[in-house]
Formats: sequence, structure tokens, C-alpha cells
Amino acid sequence: MNRVIYRIQSEGRKTVMLVRTGRLLVLIAWIAAPASLAAQEGHPVVGSWHGDRGNGPKARTDITVIMDWDGTQITGVVNPGFENMKLQSAKLTPKDWSVHFEVESKDASGKVTRCLIDGKIDRLGSDQRTLSGTWVCGAVKQDFKLTRDRDYSR
Amino acid sequence: MRNAWFGVSVAIGVLALSMTTFEAQAPAAGAQPAARGGREGAAGDQGGARAGRAGRGGRGAAPAGPSKPTPRWPDGRVNLSQVPGVKGFWNVMTGSPIAPGGLSTNLTLDQIPFQDWARALYEYRRTRGGLDDPHARCQPAGGMRVFTVPNGLEIIDQPELNRIFIIGGENRDWRRIAMEPGRKHPSEDDLIPSYFGDSIGHWEGDTLVVDTVGYNEKFWFIRGGLPHTRFMHLTERFTRINFDTLRYEVTIDDKGAYTRPWSGGWDIPWQYTNYDGTPGGEIHEYFCIDNERDAVEFAGK
Repeated sequence: MNRVIYRIQSEGRKTVMLVRTGRLLVLIAWIAAPASLAAQEGHPVVGSWHGDRGNGPKARTDITVIMDWDGTQITGVVNPGFENMKLQSAKLTPKDWSVHFEVESKDASGKVTRCLIDGKIDRLGSDQRTLSGTWVCGAVKQDFKLTRDRDYSR
Repeated sequence: MRNAWFGVSVAIGVLALSMTTFEAQAPAAGAQPAARGGREGAAGDQGGARAGRAGRGGRGAAPAGPSKPTPRWPDGRVNLSQVPGVKGFWNVMTGSPIAPGGLSTNLTLDQIPFQDWARALYEYRRTRGGLDDPHARCQPAGGMRVFTVPNGLEIIDQPELNRIFIIGGENRDWRRIAMEPGRKHPSEDDLIPSYFGDSIGHWEGDTLVVDTVGYNEKFWFIRGGLPHTRFMHLTERFTRINFDTLRYEVTIDDKGAYTRPWSGGWDIPWQYTNYDGTPGGEIHEYFCIDNERDAVEFAGK
């Protein structure tokens, strides 16, 4: 009998906890939702993009791409920092919203390899649009996917 | 445990619903104005003619007959707002720089000097029927769009302080136009991108000319989704051609989205009554977020 009462009380506490947790999550979700209102409505590639490249779900390498538009050309870098790679021959084709750019990547020995990146923008109307496609460095071909960061300053 | 998953599922569901509805609450292009006066009434690229007509015979419009002459201050300057004894405000609601509609000098859509990406993005936005419009999610009506949204606006001239304010009922938005002689825009590094930019005005005869730079990229500067970039530079000309009509002309210079500057405009009518047609002639408070119903009405459409 005691065990049953204890179990009911325990279940009751657990239920209250779960309800509270649920309410908290709903509150967090509700508060987080308006963050989606911040948008970038200018040139579709402008902004900071984060994601990864690789072959398969396990062998992934994080990448950051920052792109800008000066009115005539797309400029930017891959992985800003000491080992950043400047975007070259960057181009947006509005017909299918495909993006092409190239970078020169150095390996540990200092050997330079040219990488060709071709992707396509999805969710064009969202500030968190995505860019995904192929990342080819020499003979190594990988897939990549980037998501544009929200930007509150532009 | 099952309850825990239920709680998480509810949270995720609410989040998904919130995000979906926030993205989906824009009315379809061409939708009629809501009775509560919350949004522009007509598709931005076709509404100008309606704006022009509204001043002569619409709700709260001028009395029948020819308009009174353009009012002036005692020193002879044009008065762009109320005059003693006659209340009212500029009732915008519609307007577009693109023909048809608006002024006869407006360009047609095929004449707009889009860059390729800007044309493609504009066409994409049109196919979406305004679903991605930030204003539909209660973002401010930046740039020239402030002259197309409902709820009225007034132009407050303070010559003794070298400034003019444009105040609107919509979200109580306001713009400050600096009128100090010789005033320059801040350098590009010092400009903080904003919805209404940095405005400097001067008078050319009876026309107020306003030069604005420093826009952010968080808004559509006209309903329909004409794209712009941070390089957008607007030159606006305000001419009160008679008591009941404010002619608004604008030149859009944006090297990021267009191949050359281009111009358009529309006439804004004076409204003598309150926004709902009752006696008064005062702009009223309207906050989009307080009255948001499209999140429900347009969910999933």
C-alpha cells in the first residue's frame, strides 16, 4: 500500500516536473520564435555562412564563409583568421540561384591546391537560407552545406 | 518518460508553428485593406493611382469642388501639414514608383534598371505573394514605404530647430530630416544602418528635397519586394501642389541592385477625418504587433 502511495506521489511529482519543464520549453520556444523576424533582404549571398564539408556524416570539417557584394562582384573569405582563403571568381547565377567560387588551399607541406566550390541557394526568402553543393579540391570531391547566420546589424 | 517526450514535442510544435506562421502571414498581393487599417491596401506596384484618387472623394476626403490653394506659413514658406482651424493628415495607404499608377512619369516594370540578381529576386518574391515580406511580420516600413502604409502621417516643420519630423500612426514610426545649412551625412564608417537612414533636407522653391543614405537591408522599401542594398540613396521631393494633395517623387540610386538611378512617385491625399472616417482629423496609434491576426488568418497559405 505504502509503495503504491509512494509511487502515486512520485508519479505526481514527476508529472508536475514534466509539466513545468514542458511549460518552460514552450516559453523558450515562444521567446525564440520572434528572433526569426530579423532578416537580410539585400543581395542573397551577403552575410556569414556556417556549416561543414566532407564525405559522409562522420568525416566532416567545419567551414565558415563570409561573403559581401560591392555592387559589381562578390567578395569574401573562407575561414576568416590566419589561414583564411580569399574567394576568387565568385559568381551568383540568379536563373537557378547557383553560386560558384574558388579558393586556394594550402596543405601542411605548403602545397597549394585550387578548390572549386559549386552550390545552390535554398530557402531564398529566409534570412537563414542555405547553400549546399560540391567542394572539390584537386582530386578530392566533397559535399558541403552552409546556413546563413542571422544578422542584426545590416 | 512519455510525458517528457510529450513536453518536448509540444515545445517543438509551438516553435514550428510560430516560425511557420511568422513566415506565412503576409496577405496575398492585391489583398484589400484590413478594416482595422493594419497594412497597405493594394499591391505596391499597382496602387499609386488609387492613392491619387483617394484624395478627391474617398473616405474622409476633401469636400467636393476644386481644392483650396497650397497653404503657407506667415513667412511665405509652404506649410506641409495642418493649418489652424483645419485638422487632418496625409493618408497614404497605397503608392508605388512603378507604373501603372502613380505619376505618369513612372517607369513600367520592364523599364526598371534591375541588376540581374535583383530582377530575379523581385520575380521570386512576386511568385511568393508577399509571404516573405518583413513588414508583414511587423518590421518597420523603411525607406519610401513609410509613404504607402496606412494610419496616416504628419509632417512637423520646426524651422527654429532646423529640422522636420515625419511622424506616422503606423507603429508610431518617425523620421527626422536635418535642415541645418551645410549639414553632411556621416562617413560610411560612422553611419549606423537603419530603416529610415540619415536624412538631410533643403527647400528648392516650394519643394522640400530630402537626401537619405544609411539604410539597412532588413526591409522591403516598397510592397512587392523591390530589392535594395546598403548602398541605397534616396532623393525625395515633397510638393504640396494644392491643399489636398502632396506630390511625392523619389529617385532610387542603388549601385548594389540597379544599373542606374531611376525615379517614380505618387500623390498623397489629405484626409479631413480620423482614419476610420469619424470626425477629428487626427492620426491614431496603430501597433502592428498588438493587432497581429494574419499569423492565424494566413497560416499555411
